[in-house]
Amino acid sequence: MALDAREATRASAHARPRREITTAFVVSRIAVLAVTAAILLYAAPPLAATGSWVALGLLCAVSATAAWLYLTRRFIPAKYLIPGTVFLVAFQVFPVVYTLTTAFTNFGDGHRGDKAEAVTAIETGSVRQAPGSPEYTMTVALRGDELVFLLVDPATKQVSLGAAGGLTPLDGARLGATGKVLAAPGVSVLKAPEAAARGPEISALAVPTPGGLIKANGLSRAVEGKATLGYDATCDCVRGDGGTWTADESRGYFVNAKGENLSQGWQVNVGLDNFSRVLTNPTISGHFAGVLGWNLVFALASVVGCFALGMGVALALHHPRMRGTRVYRIVLILPYAMPAFAMLLVWRDMFNRDFGLINQLLGTEIDWLGQTMTARFGVILVNLWLGFPYMFLVTTGALQAIPRELTEAASIDGAAPWTAFRRVTLPLLLVALTPLLISSFAFNFNNFNAIALTTDGGPFPAESPQVGGTDLLITYTFRLAFGAGGAQFGFAAAISVFIFAIVAVISAVAFRRTRRQEEVYA
Amino acid sequence: MRMRALGVATLATLAFTATACGSSQPAAPAASAGASSSAPAVGGGTLVIWADPPRVKPLKPFADRFGAENGVTVEVKEISKDNQVTFLTASQQGSGPDIMIGAHDWIGNLVQNGAIDPVTLTEEQKASFSAKAVQAVTFDGQIYGAPYALENIALIRNTDLAPDAPATIEDMVEQGKALKKDGKVDEVLCIPVGQKGDAFHVYPIFASGGGALFGATPSGDPDPKQVLLGSEGSVKAFGKLKELGEKGDGALRTSLTNENYIVNFAGGKCAYLVSGPWAISEVKKAGVAYDISAVPPFEGGQAATPFVGVQTFFVASKGKNKALAQEFVANYVTNKDVAKALYEADPRPPALTAALEEVRASDPDAGKFLDAGKDGLPMPAIPEMAAIWEPFGIAENAVVKGGDAAKAATAAQKAIDGSLKN
Amino acid sequence: MRMTLRHVFVLAVCAFAVFPILFVVSAALNPMGTLASTSLLPAGASADNFANLLTSDAYPFGRWFLNSVFIALASSFASLLLSMLAAYAFSRMRFAGRRAGMMALLLIQMFPQFLAIVTIFMIFTEVTELYPAFGFNTAWGLLLLYLGGALGVNTWLMKGFLDTVPKELDEAATMDGASHAQIFWRVIMPLVTPILAVTALLAFIGTMSEFLMANVFLRDTESKTLAVGMYGMIAGDHRNANFGMFAAGTLITAVPTVGVFLWLQKYIVSGLTAGAVKG
Repeated sequence: MALDAREATRASAHARPRREITTAFVVSRIAVLAVTAAILLYAAPPLAATGSWVALGLLCAVSATAAWLYLTRRFIPAKYLIPGTVFLVAFQVFPVVYTLTTAFTNFGDGHRGDKAEAVTAIETGSVRQAPGSPEYTMTVALRGDELVFLLVDPATKQVSLGAAGGLTPLDGARLGATGKVLAAPGVSVLKAPEAAARGPEISALAVPTPGGLIKANGLSRAVEGKATLGYDATCDCVRGDGGTWTADESRGYFVNAKGENLSQGWQVNVGLDNFSRVLTNPTISGHFAGVLGWNLVFALASVVGCFALGMGVALALHHPRMRGTRVYRIVLILPYAMPAFAMLLVWRDMFNRDFGLINQLLGTEIDWLGQTMTARFGVILVNLWLGFPYMFLVTTGALQAIPRELTEAASIDGAAPWTAFRRVTLPLLLVALTPLLISSFAFNFNNFNAIALTTDGGPFPAESPQVGGTDLLITYTFRLAFGAGGAQFGFAAAISVFIFAIVAVISAVAFRRTRRQEEVYA
Repeated sequence: MRMRALGVATLATLAFTATACGSSQPAAPAASAGASSSAPAVGGGTLVIWADPPRVKPLKPFADRFGAENGVTVEVKEISKDNQVTFLTASQQGSGPDIMIGAHDWIGNLVQNGAIDPVTLTEEQKASFSAKAVQAVTFDGQIYGAPYALENIALIRNTDLAPDAPATIEDMVEQGKALKKDGKVDEVLCIPVGQKGDAFHVYPIFASGGGALFGATPSGDPDPKQVLLGSEGSVKAFGKLKELGEKGDGALRTSLTNENYIVNFAGGKCAYLVSGPWAISEVKKAGVAYDISAVPPFEGGQAATPFVGVQTFFVASKGKNKALAQEFVANYVTNKDVAKALYEADPRPPALTAALEEVRASDPDAGKFLDAGKDGLPMPAIPEMAAIWEPFGIAENAVVKGGDAAKAATAAQKAIDGSLKN
Repeated sequence: MRMTLRHVFVLAVCAFAVFPILFVVSAALNPMGTLASTSLLPAGASADNFANLLTSDAYPFGRWFLNSVFIALASSFASLLLSMLAAYAFSRMRFAGRRAGMMALLLIQMFPQFLAIVTIFMIFTEVTELYPAFGFNTAWGLLLLYLGGALGVNTWLMKGFLDTVPKELDEAATMDGASHAQIFWRVIMPLVTPILAVTALLAFIGTMSEFLMANVFLRDTESKTLAVGMYGMIAGDHRNANFGMFAAGTLITAVPTVGVFLWLQKYIVSGLTAGAVKG
């Protein structure tokens, strides 16, 4: 391989001086332009068709910048960083930033949409069928270009024509067996597929009547209904038989004099309310210290345990005279190759007191997941099982990077294997793996699935059903945000910010401590 | 400069694969978006239905027929996790379906999010459904969907071990204990409890013991302002659960979970099973002789009313083709054949009386389940119900383990009050 | 003697690794297999569950398998390339914002991703309308989404590895007039095959078992991946009825991963030898 590299350098030696314009240089630049053009040709027309001029401008600007970046000889680091960064920004940074903005709103169940949507939902939901009105059989027809309804009262067989102008009797229509109109003078009846194709128009047509409005109910029936609630823009309120509900922009609800609100609300800005809720919620503050402590133990034990075990086996296999390494390696990555959610469920059932495999093998009757300490031990064990193959793999890879001369030199110097490991191998491994350990810590700190699919936070003490023995910060706070009263995304986002702050601070501190180390070895 | 060209070429190829191949979908094995669609659209437009996995297949033929009749493409999509939340989020962002299938107790939350529209059923149609089904899909005086199946739990017993349906819980426990003593069974009763309790399954027993979740509004609907989990009656009921629990009769055990309770019954390890229609296929597969009756009440107790759940078709308010969706839900899917096909895929008693009659003739189980749930309480559809399940379950788990009933009930009440206030 | 100790230790860890899997094997072979089976030895051995799974009407398992393998291969290859490029820049070049960029890369991963679903819906609703080929229900859209996570911890892993490759190598090449692209492709890449293989494997496994995004993304029965499809098999009340098939599916899911591992193993353990470093 090294020979290869050297050959390559020799082969290109004639390319000096570097500013010379070669065929390859020209070809590569043409390729850059071609790719840019292809992307633009693909992406631009739909944007233009829908009139998304801002997006189109952005697309052009980004493509032009990218093309220019690869055409010039400058900004070399950017050439390498841009491809991944584009995706990172679109699918990770943007979602995170967007999530952060929702922390300042009441976004959640009952407050998902905007005010106009809430008004529509309130009005639609309040439409009651006019008492005693017929259940019309409806046929969709065209009068010229205008869509109309041919309505048959099933009791009297009277046919009427309903249009945006109102309801008029229609004579001379021929009815089919189902009661639908087959033909009528002055209009052309639409067949089912033709009617279906005009679905949105059908939904939109409302035929005014003295008692309310006739609207289509599907493609073959129509009913006369009356909205019992209506929005009045002058008072910014919803009026109806039951009273008046005035918009409360601070809560995103229509509220009446008694303080009761209509259930459909909208999203409003609530400032720092969600953040202060996190700080003042008695359930969160009351159990915070205990949960944080266990959370740290869980994350640390998972990382250290996985790393120690994974590195242990990697080292054991990393020996020239070791036999059977291929088979061992396959067996060792198996836990990682199985779908994690399935194995979490399997482990949970193995821990069952009366029916679980573990008690059966041990001959014990321990209620593993029913007592705090054993449950904590259980989830760490499960996480160890799930996580150690990852550490095994990365250590195996990283071990290859440590020149064997270094360890050999150490052993020639007479160092004991343990000393050689501690002085040479481990520090070198840590250079490469510290960021991974930190990121693994962060992952486990928020390891929602490992808890949710095994103990779901339990066991729960009877006197405080909100916080269980194995709850992590993220599981018990999210239970508050999503468990009751539906999903409260804004609140959950505020919680995420706090949890993120905790993890980020711990990680950054840990990272600083390793920084000097990296500069030494890098 | 050969290598640079190679690198750029690689990049270019990648970019081209991403763009060029992207437009020729069949090239990728997974990208056949249209695979599940029916006959090609004539009039244009598509109708998108979201269903949970077991219902996708049986719906397909009917969806296809509807599509052919109306010249549209009908796509039945499968959502397997967090269906309600996924539906709400997708709807809000504008990529939701036209029709959603779900349980009636979602209605409260779907309505407060403006995600579904009322469905107008004719008097004739309403009369064709069982009254309980119509009651369940009625929310705030409006019908919010077409019901198609009912489900409630009942007592399933192994007739070889327990020939007669027990009249009371005491009878059942006594019989179960006797069988256990004789070594014929391992468990007194198979009912899931688990580490977080199971409010749905234990509710009939809880109700019979005098427990209640909500008070009632004047109109008879559950009133979220009066949570009764900490009330005197509920404390008494939790006390009864404690007596049945691990420190008492051993009929309720935390080691029986949703994963193993049916299996244990099917394996002959208990004589009584509290479960619903979904358990039957497994019981049949194991060849156990069984019969179905209502969950019995405590001696001198209240009625052991189970929750009744109603599977429903909803019309999404933000669907792109509402007229068609209304047509499908209100006029098409409410027919007998659809109900029967869905029954065969997943045997829950049809909500349509005519379909039920036909099903009952060939399979008596459906009728028996329905009878067992005739006094059942449609699961409250109010959004506040979400706050009840977990604290209730945890309180159940606590008393089953032998914890103090009053303490558990008070803590549950406090937790619920706290979260409803937020 | 010392070798024996190594074997004993590795065997013990292997036993720990395999023990729950044996349980799954037992359930897959047991015709009445359930999640609640209490024994490691199946009550009866038959391949029924495998046969049922592969011929099932309701579950197009073969299709899921192909989808998963395709998506996992494509996404691991693409993300390997993206993260390698970035790692090279971070390791070999010095530029303003380098440390901040790396730190940001590490930190961004720490934000709970759970809530991002809402934004993902927002983005891809637009994309589906404009470019259906990359929208919901397409493998390409899911691939794009996965590439968002291409940088991140993998970049760190490779950067750490690149740091151990002596700088003298590229300095020598630069002296010879090689451009940065030549050094990257011809000098660096061949030297770091072990970590490329490890990263590729990690990315492959990560994609194979990814569930959260794929679940909201793929809605056609035919377009699902193994993780999503199999979750559907045990969703709701059908958990027990399908568990035998589910267990069989779980085992088959591991096959591609093991296959990829077998393929990459030789690069992982023999890519870099002492001789090569001397260069």
